[in-house]
Amino acid sequence: MNILDNYQKNKKNIFFTENKDVQNYREKLLTIFENDRFDRKNNESLKNINLKNFFDFKYKYLVPEEISVINNYQDDNYSIVSINGQCSNFKDDKIEITKILDEDYNDFSKNNIIEKNDHFVNLNSLFLNSGFKIVIKKNNNIKIKISNIVTDDALTIFQKNNYFCEEGSSVSLIEEYENKNNSTSNILNVIKLEKNSKFNHFLIQDNSPNHNLIITSHSSCKKASTYNQKVYNFSEGYVRNFHYSKLLETNSEADLQGIFFLKDNNTSNNKTFVKHLAGECKSNQVYKGILNDRAKATYFSNTHVDQVAQKTEGYQLSKGILLSDNASYFSKPELKIYADDVKCSHGSTIGPIDENAIFYLRSRGMSKIAATKMLISSFINEELSSIDDEQMFQTIQKKLVRYLSKVK
Amino acid sequence: MFLEIKDLSVKIENKNILKSLNLNINKGEVHAIMGPNGSGKSTLANVLAGKEDYEILNGKIIFKDNDLFDLNIEERAQEGMFLAFQYPVEIPGVNITPFLHSAINSKRKRMNQDEIDNLSFAKLLKSKASDLGINIDMLKRSVNTGFSGGEKKRYEILQMSILNPDLAILDETDSGLDIDALKIVTDGVNKLKTKDNSFLIITHYQKLLDYIKPDYVHVMVNGSIVKSGGSEIAAEIEKDGFQKFQ
Amino acid sequence: MIIVNSETLNTLDSYSKNKYKYGFVTDIDSEKPRKGLNEKIIKYISSKKNEPSWLLEWRLSSFRKWKKMKEPDWANLNFPKIDYQDIYYYSAPKGFKDKPKDLSEVDPKLIETYNKLGIPLEEQKVLAGVAVDVVFDSVSVATTYKGELEKLGIIFCSIGEAIQKHPNLIKKYLGSVIPPGDHSFSALNSAVFTDGSFVYIPKNVKCPMELSTYFRINSENTGQFERTLIIADKGSYVSYLEGCTAPKRDDNQLHAANVELIALEDAEIKYSTVQNWYPGDEEGKGGIYNFVTKRGLCAGKNSKISWTQVETGSAITWKYPSCILKGDNSIGEFYSVAITNNYQQADTGTKMTHIGKNTKSKIISKGISLGKSQNTYRGEVTFLRKSDKARNYTQCDSLLVGNQCGAHTVPYIDSKNNTAVIEHEASTSKINEDQLYYCRQRGLSHEEAVSLIVNGFCKQVLQELPMEFAVEAQKLVSISLEGSVG
Ligand SMILES: Nc1ncnc2c1ncn2[C@@H]1O[C@H](COP(=O)(O)OP(=O)(O)O)[C@@H](O)[C@H]1O
Ligand SMILES: [Mg+2]
Repeated sequence: MNILDNYQKNKKNIFFTENKDVQNYREKLLTIFENDRFDRKNNESLKNINLKNFFDFKYKYLVPEEISVINNYQDDNYSIVSINGQCSNFKDDKIEITKILDEDYNDFSKNNIIEKNDHFVNLNSLFLNSGFKIVIKKNNNIKIKISNIVTDDALTIFQKNNYFCEEGSSVSLIEEYENKNNSTSNILNVIKLEKNSKFNHFLIQDNSPNHNLIITSHSSCKKASTYNQKVYNFSEGYVRNFHYSKLLETNSEADLQGIFFLKDNNTSNNKTFVKHLAGECKSNQVYKGILNDRAKATYFSNTHVDQVAQKTEGYQLSKGILLSDNASYFSKPELKIYADDVKCSHGSTIGPIDENAIFYLRSRGMSKIAATKMLISSFINEELSSIDDEQMFQTIQKKLVRYLSKVK
Repeated sequence: MFLEIKDLSVKIENKNILKSLNLNINKGEVHAIMGPNGSGKSTLANVLAGKEDYEILNGKIIFKDNDLFDLNIEERAQEGMFLAFQYPVEIPGVNITPFLHSAINSKRKRMNQDEIDNLSFAKLLKSKASDLGINIDMLKRSVNTGFSGGEKKRYEILQMSILNPDLAILDETDSGLDIDALKIVTDGVNKLKTKDNSFLIITHYQKLLDYIKPDYVHVMVNGSIVKSGGSEIAAEIEKDGFQKFQ
Repeated sequence: MIIVNSETLNTLDSYSKNKYKYGFVTDIDSEKPRKGLNEKIIKYISSKKNEPSWLLEWRLSSFRKWKKMKEPDWANLNFPKIDYQDIYYYSAPKGFKDKPKDLSEVDPKLIETYNKLGIPLEEQKVLAGVAVDVVFDSVSVATTYKGELEKLGIIFCSIGEAIQKHPNLIKKYLGSVIPPGDHSFSALNSAVFTDGSFVYIPKNVKCPMELSTYFRINSENTGQFERTLIIADKGSYVSYLEGCTAPKRDDNQLHAANVELIALEDAEIKYSTVQNWYPGDEEGKGGIYNFVTKRGLCAGKNSKISWTQVETGSAITWKYPSCILKGDNSIGEFYSVAITNNYQQADTGTKMTHIGKNTKSKIISKGISLGKSQNTYRGEVTFLRKSDKARNYTQCDSLLVGNQCGAHTVPYIDSKNNTAVIEHEASTSKINEDQLYYCRQRGLSHEEAVSLIVNGFCKQVLQELPMEFAVEAQKLVSISLEGSVG
């Protein structure tokens, strides 16, 4: 079914349909979809995408029957189960969780200039049917874990979450996506960091082959705040990770990192984009991927340094290992620099596992396959060893072992 | 007066480094400045050479009858001021030979002397290099690029001997040198010394002063000169450290 | 800090008074049909050049393709729409019905022009060991050292002459690397190309001297659409150099050249460009729009194509000298220095397409931005499925001088082979203040110091140029920075 039909038919089930502004905005999006040529070569959001899968779908959403659980075990640890993108309201002196409001929605669509060409974000805006808002209150230091559960087959979830870190707050958020049905989740996270706040964001993705996950995030940092994101993608289904950061005020930092493990016919599209809009900020964008069988991946990275953003330090690294004849990897590490007092660099390598290293290990009596596995583990060692949460470390370790067991 | 530093106070990034510093150097004299790390020795050297990061709060410097602050970096160099850097910077892709050749000619131009041609310059460079035990092959490399610490220092002295300055400031040229290299370097200095030029030698070890005899030794602590005298001061410091001056 | 800034500004100011010493106009009558692009003008050009009918057909079909195409729009460039109907597509110095047989037939004014440009046409005065073909507006005016080359079987002449004398080679290779329908500028060039150079190096011949073409746009509102074709037969070698200048004019002039290289088995082609078209003035008025397509095909095993470019001119540069590495073990190289000043915009880089096994490519790009200019490196490296053990190394560095310019790096890296290895590094920084300080402490002026450091920054590329031109190029780099020195 095409986009317009889906929209007309399900209008009443979509969030904020009664809001006039929202309606106007959506009308505009519909004309964009109608007029676009879906140029897969030049539109980063469409590269390697099976257009039919995503733009010719059948809208289906189920309001969850059971209400999600929010647990505050121990003092500063919260555990949340989000069902089909929804979550019940909760409030204490450290955090406040509410259903997403139309003002949160509006706010984003007004500033949504950067993504004129991102059709997935446009779909999200068009069909929004779930989402929540979490405020971390001033000067608190907490940990949150969210399990993202999808209950049924063939659901199309369009979810938007807002995170707001008040001044001086600090949050560590671990999100898990482990679903076994053939639904599609299209999630947009908007993360705002006030002065001196800090957000450590971990996304662990491990869905089954027919589950599609599209995550887009927009973080923005005020003075001396830090947004760190680490993505661990073990999914056997399609995953798209597009993450944008804006450094709005001085001394803020963004660190966007990811590792992905692909096999079979799987595809993953990745993008990180940091915009330096103030001086003396730092950014880091590092993605590493391992591709086996007929897997395909893209990684776009971009450091944009505005004219006022003097004394910027920006770093990018992209590395890919191709384990099979039929795997392919595309990377485009961009620098766009309009200020002169900057230190920016990027490095990028794609290739097989280092033959010399394999030879060395084999000469010490290791089998070829064991050597390969060992070198894959060492390739991402830095990313693994930097995890301080013991439980999370174990989880990821297990997934890595599972992936390696399929490597021949 | 050849060099006169009067009441010099200097600040960088909101930090006062030099505080009412006074120092006079006459033609033909060798002065040594000793002081603990961070006391402001390199700052003084850089202010003399004209580095532009500093804010001059107060004071005056006269060099060869010029108000030093009226001259920019290269004009001071062309007037005969030479700074052997504590940490010489690497300049990849810029060849040593043409680099020094342009340097010497820009000085000669200011002095209304004829430029020195390629051939004579190559000869001069070779002979000075071999005096300093510098391998000719090294002259084909880029300025300071990939040099070891000792090589950098030796190369600074080579430049000094070619540019033949009136005032040479040596900022910890001795650090990082083994004893043989130290000898070669100090020989180079002693050879260059005449009654018409002067040296300002910055060090925090006494060792260097065994090879180059200073006429005056100054102790610098916390941005000012706290004591001046003859070479006996160096021996004092060797024995007791800088503690008692602080 | 305050002092640094004002000094730097002073120097920058002196840069922006960039004097373009090639900006004079030669007062010579020229023969021009009317402005505008249509089938009539194409037929006119073709008949002027006495071309066979298949070529006229080829031109016309290219023109029809062009009419249906849009200009490529992905580059980081901003310029007003080009009015293709407001351009002269053919201009020849009057009395040039046939190419002069020897220099005594050439208008003395032309000879004088080239003397002024430092390109003397009298053979004895020509830089030792360099054969020169000279293209003035739309026609080739002189080729030096022809006789000597002919003895070796080397063909070095204008493309117009080659069409007459070597139709088989032209028919076989013209458009074989850059098909007319590739994009709108290649279609345009194929439709209206006027002159350019042709080179054929026979089997196992190492061309003993540099071959060089010098392009000059003289007439007002005239586009230059030259076409160059170089074929290196099995086991041969040639080094080719291209230079270009244009007078200062307030209008923008269009230059859309196509250059095709073909290296057969074991052959090597080295192609060097020193591009110094008029860049426009300090306000960004005038200057050449340079939309150039250069592509080399390493057709045979063990062949090699190496591009070296020093790009200092043009208001707009859109140029990606590329290599298609088809033969096994073939090698592609790209060395580039691009300097932009004032309002210049450059979007330049390369494309390395690895098709054959064991193919290698190397990319070294140095971009320097000054004034209010924008300088973009755009490069694509592709490893196709069969390119076993292919390798690429890319290094692109950008230097910013002043805080109103931009430096951008846009690499596309695509690997479809799991034995191929790509390594890519890039950096952007401003000119190092410590290096400046060090040089000035040794007595060099601020300007000299900048020029020295920038030349050092470019050295990896400049040293790839043929000896005779490396020195010239170094000077050109300094001039682009200083202006006043020229
Ligand atoms: N560029 C600078 N920015 C900030 N502080 C500086 C800078 N340069 C020097 N300083 C400070 O000034 C003081 C004196 O430094 P320096 O002159 O290098 O000492 P010395 O050479 O005697 O070891 C030190 O505390 C040093 O940290
Ligand atoms: Mg020091």
